[in-house]
Amino acid sequence: MFILDIISSVLLIAGVFFGFSGALGLFKFPDFFTRMHAASVTDSIATILILLGLILQTSFDINTAKLLFILAFLMITSPTASHALAKSARHGGLLTLPETQVKQQERTY
Amino acid sequence: MPSIEKKSRRNYIHIAIWALILSIFWLLLSGIYNPLLLSFGAVSIFVVLLVLRRIEDVDKKRQHLGTGLRLIRYIPWLIGQILKSSIHVTKLIWGSPSKVSPTLAKINISNIPPNKRVLYANSITLTPGTLCVDLKGDELTVHALQKSSITELEEGYMENKITGIWGKSE
Repeated sequence: MFILDIISSVLLIAGVFFGFSGALGLFKFPDFFTRMHAASVTDSIATILILLGLILQTSFDINTAKLLFILAFLMITSPTASHALAKSARHGGLLTLPETQVKQQERTY
Repeated sequence: MPSIEKKSRRNYIHIAIWALILSIFWLLLSGIYNPLLLSFGAVSIFVVLLVLRRIEDVDKKRQHLGTGLRLIRYIPWLIGQILKSSIHVTKLIWGSPSKVSPTLAKINISNIPPNKRVLYANSITLTPGTLCVDLKGDELTVHALQKSSITELEEGYMENKITGIWGKSE
């Protein structure tokens, strides 16, 4: 049990670290699309690590199954949500960083 | 052409499999097993099956229930990929956020069978550093944090993994 606790805390701490990195990247990156990449660090790896860490804390009963369900559903819903956000931004006419730079150069000439 | 009798028998088997899956799902979610709640579960499963039957009359193409064994081969590999690219993006965040070279590219996916394209697009979005923006016909629009991820996708590492497990489209 002691070893499981150590593995679990390592996973949880790693998950928290990645979650924090994602939040930091959200502020440091330059535009909408690049910020979405930072958010997807929190979306994917942080969730997986934290849920795996929590699974090791259960006594492998029905709660483990519930956590696995949460993991499975998040693996489906979070990329779907990111895709919906990116697609609507793109169709709404938001330009990526290189495109905006080209446009600004055109304006200065 | 299959006779009507054969068809209806296949229907019953299909419904029975769904009933079994839904019951297991409900039992795992509930955790409290007294007669009142169990009867609620039975009623809700019945309602779902009723809806399922009616929806499948509308939906001509039946979705086959896979065993998910192939997915078990795919998921660990995908988690490995997610870990690798997460570390890469995290390095960028802590190191030098100005080093990013955001790129938008179109990727041809005609090799991938149509019912696995969503899986491919979702896998791309799930790995940090690449983001699927649009899926139209045989083309996938992908936004990447760095140009190198686009070349990696074009080399078809992930594509080969999917076509290796589920087969190529004809």
